[in-house]
Parts: sequence; structure tokens; C-alpha cells
Amino acid sequence: MNKVIRYFKSLMMIELWQGLGVTFKHMFKPKFTVFYPEEQIPKSNRFRGIHALRRYPNGEERCIACKLCEAVCPALAITIDSEMRDDGTRRTTRYEIDLFKCVYCGFCEESCPVDSIVLTDFADFHMEDPKESILDKQQLLALGDRFEESISKNRQQDAAYR
Amino acid sequence: MNSPDNNLVNIEIDGIATTAAKGSMIIEVADRIGVDIPRFCYHPKLSIAASCRMCLVDVEKAPKPMPACATPVMEGMKVFTESKRAVDAQRGIMEFLLINHPLDCPICDQGGECELQDQAVGYGRSVSRFSESKRVVEDKDIGPLVQTEMTRCIHCTRCVRFLEEIAGTDELGGIGRGDRLEIGTMVARSIDSELSGNVIDVCPVGALTNKPFRFSARAWELMARASVSSHDGVTSNLYYHTRRNEILRCVPRDNEALNECWISDRDRYSHYGLRSDERLHEPMVKDSNGSWQIVDWDVALDAAAEILTDAGEDLGMLLSPSAFNEEYLLASRLLKGLGGKNIDSRLRETTFTDDASRQIQFECQLSEMAKADAVLLIGSNIHEDAPILGHKVRQAWLKNQAAIYAVMPRNYNYHFDCAETSVIEPGKMLGQLLSIAKALGESLDTRSLQANVANAVENAAADEFATHAANALKAADNALLLVGKMALSHPQADWIRALAQAISQAVAGRCNLIADGGNSTGARYYGAQPADGGLDVAQMLENPAKGWVLWNVNPALDFDHPALVQTALAAGKVLAVSSFNSDAILANADVILPLAATAESEGSLMSFDGQLQQVSAASKAPGMSKPGWKILHRLGTQLGLEGFEFSRLGSLEMPEECAAVRTDFEFAELEVSNGLNRLGEVGIYSVNAECRQSAPLQDTHLASRAVISMNPEDISTRDLSPGATVTATQGDQQIHLVLKSDPSIAAGCVLLPAAMAETAHLGSAWAAIEVEAK
Repeated sequence: MNKVIRYFKSLMMIELWQGLGVTFKHMFKPKFTVFYPEEQIPKSNRFRGIHALRRYPNGEERCIACKLCEAVCPALAITIDSEMRDDGTRRTTRYEIDLFKCVYCGFCEESCPVDSIVLTDFADFHMEDPKESILDKQQLLALGDRFEESISKNRQQDAAYR
Repeated sequence: MNSPDNNLVNIEIDGIATTAAKGSMIIEVADRIGVDIPRFCYHPKLSIAASCRMCLVDVEKAPKPMPACATPVMEGMKVFTESKRAVDAQRGIMEFLLINHPLDCPICDQGGECELQDQAVGYGRSVSRFSESKRVVEDKDIGPLVQTEMTRCIHCTRCVRFLEEIAGTDELGGIGRGDRLEIGTMVARSIDSELSGNVIDVCPVGALTNKPFRFSARAWELMARASVSSHDGVTSNLYYHTRRNEILRCVPRDNEALNECWISDRDRYSHYGLRSDERLHEPMVKDSNGSWQIVDWDVALDAAAEILTDAGEDLGMLLSPSAFNEEYLLASRLLKGLGGKNIDSRLRETTFTDDASRQIQFECQLSEMAKADAVLLIGSNIHEDAPILGHKVRQAWLKNQAAIYAVMPRNYNYHFDCAETSVIEPGKMLGQLLSIAKALGESLDTRSLQANVANAVENAAADEFATHAANALKAADNALLLVGKMALSHPQADWIRALAQAISQAVAGRCNLIADGGNSTGARYYGAQPADGGLDVAQMLENPAKGWVLWNVNPALDFDHPALVQTALAAGKVLAVSSFNSDAILANADVILPLAATAESEGSLMSFDGQLQQVSAASKAPGMSKPGWKILHRLGTQLGLEGFEFSRLGSLEMPEECAAVRTDFEFAELEVSNGLNRLGEVGIYSVNAECRQSAPLQDTHLASRAVISMNPEDISTRDLSPGATVTATQGDQQIHLVLKSDPSIAAGCVLLPAAMAETAHLGSAWAAIEVEAK
């Protein structure tokens, strides 16, 4: 009996019409394709994109060279050298992140006592030369300056859950 | 369980039954059996302050928690370190300590190796209940070696007790009471103890930290590599902390037989010299035009081998007194293979007539020195000769009330009180020793002395100082004679050694010679001193050789008579193997081979009392420089000599027996000098190139300064005025320097430091000198 039903169903191409039904249904629904990069999908405020070093509003860099991020980094992607700056404060002379090593786990951000190293929500980056994979201190600070607005907004939104 | 020994008591700590010596403290017993009690102020080498109260423990039947560091054990005592009462007390103390301690561990240099941080993890609250403002204390500037951040101080007073009890300089103290207590120097000044760096290690928090190291690395990034210091014969054990193959700092390594748990500042900060611009990186050869060419090792070694074979048996080897045993052994084999005999490492000494009777003379072991009850210091600024030995003598004075007598050319600033001192010009020091020998009377066996020495003793007159010193030494059970670097480089050192030996025998005491260099014992033992008729350094310089080997020495700074050295070297071809470059090496050498420093190569050193210390490389040697044994091994095999058939340092067999000594000798006649004599001291931080290149050490007050110092009487009789520039003349060499009046210097001598670039062109450190107004 089942064999007969299956024979008639296949003869009438019912499964094909069912599939086409889904297709036609979506012709009348709003599209969810985005025109990247002109259009962006919404991101979580906890999105972990490229790194940045932040500054205080007065322009002073936040990083105090405590090296906790370097210690916590599971991929050993961070390298820091530090010394005493002329004003007696503890500062980095070198702060480098190797983007090829980084696994974007966000531990550096978690460990930072002064919210200096952060992962921004910016992930649209590329490099043409393998040497460019290492971000130095000036590049990281520049990234921080560029994304400060979104960084502080994201952190504000997330503050209640920290 | 009843102990049959009356001096032992039975106690129980956390249920572990044990016996302990009567009068010992709970914390000592707990440490021994492995029960951990938190503490800040307690330090096993320092007196008990019981000021931090962190070690409060619960003692059965006691009405309140007791401090474990200050509670003696008693029979049947039951101690609980983890009961609720004990832990509550410890938590309470921790909360009080953290009230005024800043909570900014991320910017504190002690972060990661801080005792307070560690204890706070175990005993601290997760959230502070203290909302009032914290105390702030101004930082003190206590010199270029130790950084202060006094707000972090928890008033454990370990640093105060260290400087008072171990260093003996009383430079820090507490001012004020309660929460206004501040640790400081009272008047603004630096800490000038030669052991000052140890306050960094004893400080449990980040109040006192390493200044040159400040903010440069974290404890967790550093690799601790065990090593040994080669600046003095104590061969202090230490750790170099390295990161990415670079030495960043140095801390002590415990060795009760040598340095206990301390190291001198010289050992701690000298490694900064290793990074200096003066380091040699490449082999160099002087071409026919006299200009230097950087070449590769093969070319340089060919040139070096040529110098050696050309010289043949007429080769003079002058080695640093701080080289490795293996280097001494291989250098002497190389020399022997070439047929030569002239080798020496006692570059600052001037008299060698008594080489026959000279053995390694350090009769009192380092660990026994603190047990002496009478000490005679002969020409020894012991705190600068070997800071750890100064500590040992101070312990003898402190714990045994040792009577200390000193014969010295200027009143050295000892960190102990001398019973009596004799401050006399160097030329009269021998007379003072003869006088002590005379005062010993019958107990001194003159028959064991050479005839002319015995005669001189006969003819001497015992003065008051000599009588007192002789009586004190005779009365002592453990008399100790220490002959310092100054006395050993003295032109009459042969007599001084003979008399020191005779006096120590007469009083059944022991005699220690504090020789220059970090491995003088090894040099003697492994053949770096002349034997079988070989020439000593003085004879070598008088009869210049055709070829020279300079092993890690600076011809201008590491000899008694730099001018003489330069003339001698000019007569032959010179192969310089050195870690550091210098104008003098560039001017005198023909081939330069870069040598790895002690911290960068493997080998062994021998302490004053003959303890063998193995060293392994802590960091990578810069550029092309190579360890000394490899250089000598390569030269030896290239020349096809015997004794170089090994491939690893470990397979090199070291001799069991000490090399033979010369047997032909006679004491030179006594000469008493008139007029002014130079007192050419080698400063504590001028002993070798590594120290001289270390910027932090050169910034201290203890570093040598190029000034002429004289007794005020000498100044007034010569119509000079202190503060003015004067001209000092030695032979045909002159120097213009500022004159300083210093009443601690004996009349008749002029203190003008040696081993400084400014004074390098002058003559012997002991010769006559004239000073006149410019």
C-alpha cells in the first residue's frame, strides 16, 4: 500500500512543490542579506575584534605596564617592555600584540586593572604583509583613539553585568 | 614521651608532636616541621621585633593568641595555627595592615613577589571596609641603589634591624609613633653600607626596591639562574634573574658556609657593567698600519697562535685574579706546552720574595670566622676588601664581644668598635707588627723565622698598642689575624705575611690572607702562579718578554704600576683576551679576543677557604665573545699541545694537588721610607672592569673619586690649602687634583686612589709622592 502512495506522490511532484513553496514564500518576506561592507549586521557589545589601547580623557595613556595581560595571554601574543618614565610613573616602552598568535579570547581585557587594553568591536581588518601582524604601541593607541566612542559606549552598556 | 635531654621540650603543633630546644620560638619549630605560619617582621637572621603580629597563633591554655615569633616553646605546649581563634586574629591583623597600605599592586615593583600580596590572598577580605583616607608618606632618597616608596611600608622594621645588626651602619630608623611612624634616615642622606642592597630582599613589601631595576620586569617573567660572584674570594652564591637571555637583576642564593643569605652591593649591581659600551663583541687584529680590523675567529686565532709560537718560552702570561679555575689550568698548560714558565695573577702585589713559604693561607673557614674572640686586622679595610668578611668580623664583635685591634694607614670606617687602633703611615706598619711580635715575648718562637726577621723582632720595642693587642690575642681562645688587600700589596708584604703567621702561631690563633680578586685561591691551586723558577709579575715587568698574554686585565688599571706595565708590553707582541675594551688595551695589544664574562660562561671558582663553586652560564655572551676555556682549548689544539684532549668542560680533569712552589728565597732588607708616600687604594667598586663599568655602583658615595686626601697636619706643614687644586708628582708623572683634608689618614701619606682612569699614568700605588701647590 505504501509503495502505491509513494508512486503517486512522486508522479505528482508533491515534494518539489513543497520545496518551491518555501522559496516563493520568502519572495514576499523582507530580505536579511546585508550589503557588507556598506551595511553591517548588529554586534554584541561584548564582540571581540581588534585590540586597542585606551587613553584617559586628558590624553594620558591608561596602561601602567603591570604586565597582567602579558601573563594571562594563553597564546603568548603580547610582549611588553617597561621602564620608569621621566615623571616617575611606570610605563611601557614596548607593547606589541601578534595578531597571528592572538585567539581573541579577551583575557587581556579581563585582566586589565585600568581598562587600558580592550578588544574593540571592529573586525574588518586585513594585512598585506605578514610583518604587519604585529601591532605596536603607537598603532594600538591610534586604534584606541579611533574607536574610543564605541569602546566607551559598549563598556557602559555592559557595566551592569561586570 | 619524656625527653632525657633537659634542653629539649616536647611540643605539639597542629597535632604534629615534636621536640624542640628550650628557648626556641614557636615559629622556628613550625618552620622546621613544615607548618606554615604567616609573618612579616620575623626573619631568621635578625632579632625578634614581634611588631607585625601576623604570626598570632592559638596556644592551649593561653588566654589570647600569642605571636609565634616571640613565644618560647614550653614543655607540653599545644599550638594550633589553623584554629578559628588563630585565623580570626590573623585576618584581623591583615585587615589592619591593609588599611594604610595602597591597593595598587599593578604599579608596584614588588607585585608578584610580595609577601603582603601573598598573605592577603590567604587572609585578606575580598572587599575593603575602610572608606576613610589612607596615610601617605613622603619617599626618601637613600641613594642610587635602593628605591623607596614609603607609603607602602608596613613598619616591620626588618630594614632597620638589618642595617643595625648585620650591616652595622644604623642608617635607618623609625621616627614617630603609631600610624605616624615613618622609617627614614632622620637627616636626608643616602645609605652607604656596602651591604645596603639586602634591605630590598628583607623588605616584605614594595617599600624598598631595586632602583636600577625599577619597573623593568615582573617577577614571573624572570628565570632564576644560579651563579657565583667573582668580585671577592667569598664567592657569594647568587641568582641572576634573566629575561630573554639578558641579566636584569641579581639576588642572593643561600649558602650558610659562604655568604649566608646576604650579598654585597658589588655582587648585586656589578652586572650592569656587562651591558656597557666597553664590552668587546668581535675578535680584532691590528694591521700593519696600526689600525684595528674586525676579523673572524679563525683569522684572529691564527694571529694569536703566531704571537704565542713566536714568543715560545719567552712568553709572559698575566691573568686576572678573578678568572675561572679551568682558565688558569688551561693557560698554565698552554704555557708549559710552549716551554714557558712565566705566569702570574697577583697583579697588584709588589713583593714575592717569600713565594716559597706561601701556601693558600686561609686557616679559619668562612663559617668559623664569626666565632673569633680576638681579631687583629692588618692593613685591611675589611668591609671593602670583601664585604661579607666584614659582616663575619662584625658578628664576632657583636656575638662574642671579640676584642678587635687594627693596624691601618687610615682610620677605616669599620662597622664595629675596635678595642684599639694604630693608624700609621704604610711605611711604619711593619714596625708596628714587629712591635706586636716583640710584645708576645717568650711565646713567639723566633727560631721558626728567618734570621733577619728574627733580628728585627729582637730589636723592636713593644709600645702600648702592641702590648694590649698581644695580651688580648694571647688571652683569646679563637684568635684571628686578617691580613687585608692593602697589606698584601704593600712593598713589605713578605715581612708582614711572615710576622702575621708567626704571631698567629704564637697565640695559637689562625691567620687569613684576604687576597685580591675573586679566585685568588683557584689561581694558586691551578697553576696561575709561577713555579719551578718562573718569573713573578714584578720580575716579568722588569725583564719584558717577547710575547704577552693579557687575560681579562686592563694594563692601565689592574696593576700596581701601570706606567711600568705599558713599557714592558711595548717590548713584545701582546695577545689580549678580554671581556671589556679600553684605551690601554687598544694601545698595547696586537690581537684582541672577546671573552665571555663570569656570568656568561661555565667553569668553577674557589672560595678563600677552598670550597669549589660551579658556575653555569646565566645569559648569552654578547656578539662573538666566547668562554675562556673554549678560547684556550682552541689555541691549545691548534698548536698541537698536550692536555687539551677534551671536548666538553665536564670532561676536563682537574688536578688534586696544589702546584709546587718556588723554594729559593730570601727576605729583602727592611727599608724605612721618609717623606710622603702614596696610599694607592683600590676602591670597592674599582676592583675590576665589570664594577668600573657599572653605572649604579659608580654613582654611590663608596665609589672612588679622583681627589688627593691628606692629613690636616701634613697640609698645614706644606702650606697647602684644602679645596684648592694641587699638583702631585710621582717620578716624572704629574697629576692636578683637588686637595681634601681628611683627619682619618695617617700623617706622612697621601691617599690617591689607584684603578681609576685619572690616575692610571702614575707610578706604583705605594711609591713616594710629592704634593705641592699648583
